[in-house]
Amino acid sequence: MKNEPFLILIADDDEADRMVFAEAFSELKIKTVVRTVNDGMQLMKWLSEREPPLPHFLFLDLNMPRKNGLECLKEIREDEKLKDIFVAIYSTSDSEDDIEETFLSGANVYITKPSNFNVLKQLLHKVVSATFIYEGNTFNRKNFLMRV
Amino acid sequence: MLYDLGDKQWNIPALRELLEDIIPKNSQFYNYEVKHTFLDLGEKIMSLNASRVIQNTHREQLILLVIADITEVRNLIVEKELKEKELLNKEISERNSEKLLLEKAVQERTRELKEANESLENKNNELLAINKELESFTYVSSHDLQEPLRKLQIFAGIILEKENHNLSEKGKSYFHLMQQSAERMQQLIHDLLAFSRIRDAERKFEKTDLNIIIEEVKIELKEAIAEKKALIEVKDICEVNIIPFQFRQLMHNLVVNALKFSKPQTPAHIIISSRNSMSEKLKVKGLLPKKEYCHITVSDNGIGFEKEFREKIFELFQKLHGKEEYAGTGIGLAIVKKIVDNHNGIITATSVVNKGTSFNIYIPAST
Repeated sequence: MKNEPFLILIADDDEADRMVFAEAFSELKIKTVVRTVNDGMQLMKWLSEREPPLPHFLFLDLNMPRKNGLECLKEIREDEKLKDIFVAIYSTSDSEDDIEETFLSGANVYITKPSNFNVLKQLLHKVVSATFIYEGNTFNRKNFLMRV
Repeated sequence: MLYDLGDKQWNIPALRELLEDIIPKNSQFYNYEVKHTFLDLGEKIMSLNASRVIQNTHREQLILLVIADITEVRNLIVEKELKEKELLNKEISERNSEKLLLEKAVQERTRELKEANESLENKNNELLAINKELESFTYVSSHDLQEPLRKLQIFAGIILEKENHNLSEKGKSYFHLMQQSAERMQQLIHDLLAFSRIRDAERKFEKTDLNIIIEEVKIELKEAIAEKKALIEVKDICEVNIIPFQFRQLMHNLVVNALKFSKPQTPAHIIISSRNSMSEKLKVKGLLPKKEYCHITVSDNGIGFEKEFREKIFELFQKLHGKEEYAGTGIGLAIVKKIVDNHNGIITATSVVNKGTSFNIYIPAST
């Protein structure tokens, strides 16, 4: 597994964000394959048609047309096949309500989109390494909102 | 006999009764009224006065009877009474119509009040709608407005880092300026949102130890405090009845302010104290009489400002310095003021240029 690249899926309706996101992962020293979908509908379709392996990480934007991130999160957590996917909320919002609601709906970690490329790289590295490399997979309410 | 006079017209039962029954018992009477219709005279009203007289010489008993025709007098009285009654009736009917008018006016007023109430309710609903609109505006600001800004910043950063070698020095400095502007805009949006989030509706007062709030603020501002080599001294703190998260923001903003406007060569010294006093003793305009207030002071030894600006500093977007001298959006103290307002309090500032500034906050004491 260590030699296999991580499969990363990002659902975001913003093209520039998807681009920057993929670029940031490509510059990390972690081997990854990044797939992108443009909204919640596409995401759920992609996941339901997907043959295993499922993505190791799903980065989920909240504010998306047609089906928003929160709706997707709830559907994923209720789906027997999908419920164990690691979901990182990836949103511009830093509102307490959004953070609380996604935490209660079973997201693993919450990151707000930074305005600095290097900060983004650090954040993504931290999410992936904290989860798999150090196996410190103990996110709780206190460190749910991840910062660098 | 008297009764036989004028064809027995005087045979009046009332007169008979008078003469035969009453006189023997009472010997005299006055103003006994008798009404009688005479064939030739018509109805007459007579006033009878009579008394028994005994003639001295003959010891003969006589009755002295005086009959006065008071028909006309009576008629006048009746007429007068009728007139009075008429007047009274007229007045009653006038009063009645007045009453009707009054009732109509009351009805009209009731209707107006009802309409006013309805329009008030409409206004209320309108306000609620506006509030909701504002909330969604706030939401849009926090998301959609920040989005393009974040892109500007992230791409300017990427270009500066990765395309650095392709840029001239001038090009680089333009990019820096672009980044700074975007950052400033972001700060503005952030501060404006903070300002608009300080809402009256979220009033949840709690008795709080101000020390805890100050400690939290000190932790938040650890780096800035260290950088300015600032000393924050906390004296005589009393318990306060406050909205904790708002007051933390208030303290935060005041301390940030004191740090920002400290003198460049002097370590900042900030003193925070509080004590309860009666409003009479405090002598501050706007405090309610005979009420106990908690007087909180935040003083610094910073650059101070001219006396004439002591009210202007609390207005939104008011800055006393150019943004190259001191960064900031001019929202911090407006937030402080709004929070004090939410606590039904008053804030004043006194300052001496190059000596320092004191902020005095008066909020109703915790009881």
